[in-house]
Amino acid sequence: MKKNKLAKILTFGLAAVMALSLASCGGGSDENADSEGGDITVISREEGSGTRDAFVELTGIMQDDVDRTIDTAEISNSTSVVTQSVAGNEAAIGYISMGSLDDSVKALKIGGVEATVDNVKSGDYALQRPFNIVTKGEVKELPQDFINFIMSAEGQGIIEEEGYISTDENAASYEAAGLEGSITLAGSTSVAPVMEVLADEYKKLNDGVTIEIQQTGSGAGIQSTIEGVCDIGMASRALEDEEAGEGLESQEIALDGIAVIVNNNNTAEDITLEQIMQIYTGEITAWSEIQ
Amino acid sequence: MRKYSESIMKIVFLVTACVSIIAVILICVFLFASGVPAIKEIGFTDFLFGTSWKPGQDLYGIFPMIIGSVYVTAGAIIIGVPIGLLCAVFMARYCPKGLYKVLKPAVDLLAGIPSIVYGFFGLMVIVPLVQDTLGGSGKCLFTSAVLLGIMILPTIINVSESNIRAVPEYYYEGSLALGATRERSIFRAVLPAARMGILAGIILGIGRAIGETMAVVMVCGNQAIMPQGITMGVRTLTANIVLEMGYASGLHREALIATAVVLFVFILIINLSFTALKRRAD
Repeated sequence: MKKNKLAKILTFGLAAVMALSLASCGGGSDENADSEGGDITVISREEGSGTRDAFVELTGIMQDDVDRTIDTAEISNSTSVVTQSVAGNEAAIGYISMGSLDDSVKALKIGGVEATVDNVKSGDYALQRPFNIVTKGEVKELPQDFINFIMSAEGQGIIEEEGYISTDENAASYEAAGLEGSITLAGSTSVAPVMEVLADEYKKLNDGVTIEIQQTGSGAGIQSTIEGVCDIGMASRALEDEEAGEGLESQEIALDGIAVIVNNNNTAEDITLEQIMQIYTGEITAWSEIQ
Repeated sequence: MRKYSESIMKIVFLVTACVSIIAVILICVFLFASGVPAIKEIGFTDFLFGTSWKPGQDLYGIFPMIIGSVYVTAGAIIIGVPIGLLCAVFMARYCPKGLYKVLKPAVDLLAGIPSIVYGFFGLMVIVPLVQDTLGGSGKCLFTSAVLLGIMILPTIINVSESNIRAVPEYYYEGSLALGATRERSIFRAVLPAARMGILAGIILGIGRAIGETMAVVMVCGNQAIMPQGITMGVRTLTANIVLEMGYASGLHREALIATAVVLFVFILIINLSFTALKRRAD
């Protein structure tokens, strides 16, 4: 008898839970059907990210020093999570460094211009920014040699191979100086992937050198350079005034395009800077408005 | 000679004990020394109860994140506690020996999985699932709660199980002897006797859920706004810190440390209530 009662309560509870979850599922899909799955999921990077700084500035989302990105935009703190989120969501739009672009997502044309290396180089592609390395005061012999390598024909060639745009096409070729020791770099997660490749190639030419690359973000990298914790800082944006005041010097090593990405199943191909701005400020909320 | 070695060892033990205590004190001092001035500069109420977090415009209100943390944790408890508790009852009372040998290590393994792996699992499996069933982008309060609910299971199961096992056997036998069924004896006699311990386990689970970072940051959407429904995104206190710490400078950085102070106070309250409960249970 008692056992029956318990079983009854359990069954009732289970039934209630199932009914509830079914109801909520139903509600959810109804909502989805109403908007025809066309509501744009806006994905942005975190406040202070070099990619976000460049993106909001170039698209005009930033107006009078106010970043107008809508509050409901999803925030991801790395390029790979943005890519993964867009790849898994047909209604999503996001932006990543062009060098990190892969087949899992589709890059939109900006005002009819495709996101390619050539278009960035010619200046036709509007969304582009510099990659900088930052040093403080007099640079030690070994880090300076590594910088020479980055700026040499070999280093700039690697940058091109990785999908970024070199800043110096007529660079002289590099000769190993045969130095030994270790170099520490810190900073932007956008610059780090290409820096890893540069470091590997440099180590092949210089046996006795170890290079440590810390991916901490542009701001933290510049901070570490000021404090002397690292030899070279990496930044995917220009120095801010208060940073430049600390006796830092920055050098452009490459140009990078920012690709605006959507899901592979998205039918949109072309978008204007104006439309990007309207999407990110919430004026456009459905894909049907982009035609 | 022996006297000397004894007193030397005494000092060694004292030093090792001090190291851990000093670590806690140093963390406290660091947090409060760098966080409190920021709270003062922003203004206590503006910081704690402000609803806009826009570092670019010098707006540092963490109320949405506090609410976000509370909601996500509450969701995790709603999902994790019934499953964990019933699992503990099963393991302590019903489980056949053979199955137990598999189940126990499996639960322990669940506790050992790094949180970033949980995060990837959430991003690849739970997010698309929620997207299909509930609509929206899938990165939302509900997803975070489910993921955290799974993550706190081992804590709740292990603590509850050991507490259920610690209840003297005569509670159960006495109840049976009075004519109660097996289920009634377990749920009405054994469980109430273990309730303080189980509650302590739940509080430990809350502590784990509220402090969890890497897994949550990948599935919660991270919008710094007041949560507007279970299928909408939230940002937790921990996510706020880890998202922006890499890039922040100046007052923004200090505001993030101040966020850590608030989180620390939360954890402190949770741990104190755990200790208080433990004392009552004993």
